[in-house]
Amino acid sequence: MPGVPLADYLAVASALFAVGVIGFLLRRNPITMLMAIELMWNAGNLAFAAFARTFVDFSGQIFVFIVVTVAAAEAAIALAIVVMVFRRRRDVDVDEISELRG
Amino acid sequence: MMALFWICTAILILTAIGVVASRHPVHSVIALIVNFSALAVMFLMLNAEFLAMIQIIIYAGAILVLFLFVITLLTIGTGPVESGPSRLAFQAVPSIVSGIVALALLASGVRTASAAAPPEAPADFGLVGSFGMQLLTTHLFAFEVTGFVLLIAVLGVVLMAARKELRF
Amino acid sequence: MEGFVATVPFTILFLPFFGMVLIALAGPYVPRLGAAIVGNLSVLGSFVLTAVLASYVWSLPPDQQVLTLKYPPAWATHPAYWAHIPPLTISFELRIDPLALMWMLIITGVGFLIHLYSIGYMQESKWYRTFFAYMNLFVFAMLMLVMAGNFLWLLVGWAGVGLASYLLIGFDADRMAAVLAARKALIMNVIGDVGIMVAIFLMYAHFGSLSYKVVFANVTSAGTSALDWIGIWLLVGAVAKSAQLPLHTWLPDAMEGPTPVSALIHAATMVTAGVYLIARAHPIYDHAPAAAMTVAVIGCASAFVAATIGMAQYDIKRVLAYSTMSQIGYMILAVGVGAYAAGTFHFVTHAFFKALLFMAAGIIIHNLGGEQDIRKMGGLAKRMPFAFLTFLIGTLAISGFFPFAGFFSKDAILDELQLLGHPWLWAFGSITALLTAYYMFRLVFMTFFTGAYRGDHEPHADRSPTMEVPVAILAVLATIGGWLVLPGHDEMSRLLQGAFGDRGILPTMGEINWFVTGVTTFSAAAGLVIAWWLYERAPQLRRRLATMFAPVQRVLANAYYIDTIYHWLFEVPTLTAASDIAKYVDPEGVGGVIAGVARTTTGLGDAMRGWETGYLRRYGLGMVVGMVLVLAYYIFVVHGGAAVGMR
Repeated sequence: MPGVPLADYLAVASALFAVGVIGFLLRRNPITMLMAIELMWNAGNLAFAAFARTFVDFSGQIFVFIVVTVAAAEAAIALAIVVMVFRRRRDVDVDEISELRG
Repeated sequence: MMALFWICTAILILTAIGVVASRHPVHSVIALIVNFSALAVMFLMLNAEFLAMIQIIIYAGAILVLFLFVITLLTIGTGPVESGPSRLAFQAVPSIVSGIVALALLASGVRTASAAAPPEAPADFGLVGSFGMQLLTTHLFAFEVTGFVLLIAVLGVVLMAARKELRF
Repeated sequence: MEGFVATVPFTILFLPFFGMVLIALAGPYVPRLGAAIVGNLSVLGSFVLTAVLASYVWSLPPDQQVLTLKYPPAWATHPAYWAHIPPLTISFELRIDPLALMWMLIITGVGFLIHLYSIGYMQESKWYRTFFAYMNLFVFAMLMLVMAGNFLWLLVGWAGVGLASYLLIGFDADRMAAVLAARKALIMNVIGDVGIMVAIFLMYAHFGSLSYKVVFANVTSAGTSALDWIGIWLLVGAVAKSAQLPLHTWLPDAMEGPTPVSALIHAATMVTAGVYLIARAHPIYDHAPAAAMTVAVIGCASAFVAATIGMAQYDIKRVLAYSTMSQIGYMILAVGVGAYAAGTFHFVTHAFFKALLFMAAGIIIHNLGGEQDIRKMGGLAKRMPFAFLTFLIGTLAISGFFPFAGFFSKDAILDELQLLGHPWLWAFGSITALLTAYYMFRLVFMTFFTGAYRGDHEPHADRSPTMEVPVAILAVLATIGGWLVLPGHDEMSRLLQGAFGDRGILPTMGEINWFVTGVTTFSAAAGLVIAWWLYERAPQLRRRLATMFAPVQRVLANAYYIDTIYHWLFEVPTLTAASDIAKYVDPEGVGGVIAGVARTTTGLGDAMRGWETGYLRRYGLGMVVGMVLVLAYYIFVVHGGAAVGMR
């Protein structure tokens, strides 16, 4: 059973990442933005797993595990922030939240 | 094998675009679940059985359910978020351009990567047993640090989401 | 005996220190006398222990009389050094040998007598307790200096002495003159500290160690010119501390301090440190002929110049100050030509008679209500017989009359000068002996005779035993102290054999050179007769001479205008430059730079705050663009575009 070469996995990861980037920059709903970020995380994860397989090294898989953990933490925090913002303003358009300007 | 790969790739790209393009966040979440499932299949193809499991259980199962909860809690009785005109409309074109340029650069880098099939992996590569052995021996410190990060996250969420202000 | 030797030197060293700490801590809570008692007992304890230690060391054969003590001791498993900068390791190291012991005995012994004297003398002082704390610090610092086992700890003591002298000279801090004098002393002393530091650097460069043991054992491994430079830089330190030309100007001003301080500075501590340093570093000077000769010439010149200045002074303590400078000049001269035993001997006798002179003068000043001008004294012999008698003994001793202490030691130095073949230095030394006798007896005649009392207010004569007992003891010592060296019986050289025995030659001071002795005695007698003639017998002649040589007298009275020269050479340019800098450079240059920095920062902040829109997606775009740039940099610059087929 011939395996899929590394380059193909990386190409898919790149595409996923680019979609995540564009989504993050275009959408104004913070939840959708967070999902775009999740897409980018997963693009990275895919690349890590592909490298781990190519070099038969566990480090890449361990890294994915840690990324997933951090992503969970990040999602929890970010969603908490969204909840807080919504509770205060009844609105979650990120463009409306710009009090931190200089 | 290759066929499975390309099917997964198609699902991944399409659902990713679906995530980004959907009007309603719930649709995005659904698309993302499908996306993650396809990704789990890819992990299986990469001999990463354990990662495939956590991709389904933690990501698709736990994190996305959390997303769903927040969406349902927040959007009761409110209209869609992006109804008004964008203040950063001029940013749309540079955003898309920079995203495409990033893709082009990444793809050009990918061209140098190995186009050959990967070598044979040991039988237990990516299985839960060997993965756990690696995680708790060689990478124990990273594991501990991860636990600490989660602890901090829990504290932060409790602090922010608590109804009343906590007093210390 | 092992434990005794290992602990006693530390006890000797730190007793005065702990006395000081105790006074400082307990200060306001104990009666004034308590501080005095603590100060006295700690120094007395040091003295007793030193005496015991000395008797032990001198009971050993001469080649075993050098004790080296190190902390941490050799058996410590985890030695914690005071400084460990590989390859240099500095431990807390003490070296007890006959030379150090001689100094320790004088420092603690005479130091104790001065402490005792201070109990009564300082009675009216506002800061009575502080005084004893400072005095103890002084004794501690001086002990540190002489007991140190390497040059770094010597420098610690050296600087400590400078600090203590600063505190004590400026003790009457509400008098401007005292404060200025203290500052001057400190500045001069710091010049010396820098000299020693440079010498230490050179020693480190040439020997890789600062320990006396290592440096002196390897002294020949450095070339003569290197040793000459080390010797010269050490001499800079010695000159500053010992008030020799050209760094002597602080000593007369130091008379602003209370009289016991003057006694301590001049007799037991401080100024003799230079003599000690050169005697201590004798292996270096033995191999550095040019440096040694410089030492001798500076000593001789200082002795002579100070004596001439002393002839034209009217302040009783200033005359004594110049006499100290002159006598230290003798010692420096002696150690410069290699007569280390003679120099040390003169140090011992000088400590006796100089402390005696100062303390007797202190009694007079005390009883005259602070008057120090001898033109306002006179006829005091009958009113203060005790002060007169003791002062006279001190004068006879310093002038070198048989059988007082100064006779033997001064004779020993002049003898050695002849013996070692320095006729010119000897000639100047003998002339200085004449001048010494003259100005000292001039002092005696003007203070105690020349008719009736000329002062404004009636002298009161309260007698306090704590002041008179030490003076009496010192009077006895000034009389018999010289008998350590009698014809055919040179106790001094025997005692010092352990310290200087390694030089091989040991000129004995017990031999009598009748020619030199005759000249010395004649000089002293001539000085006495001239002073008597001019001040008792024929005052008209003195007045005629005074008008004839008025310009000379003016120059001498102003100490060759050296202070004035320094004022115009150093003070005025420095102050002018400083005020100009304050006026122009500071507001325009420094201020301008700072204002410019502030303006630039503000401008940059203003320019950049436009970037901070507060829009999350704007920041996101910024990040992505940055990421694209980094990617492009790696692909095109770092990897030369190979990935995109550019190569």
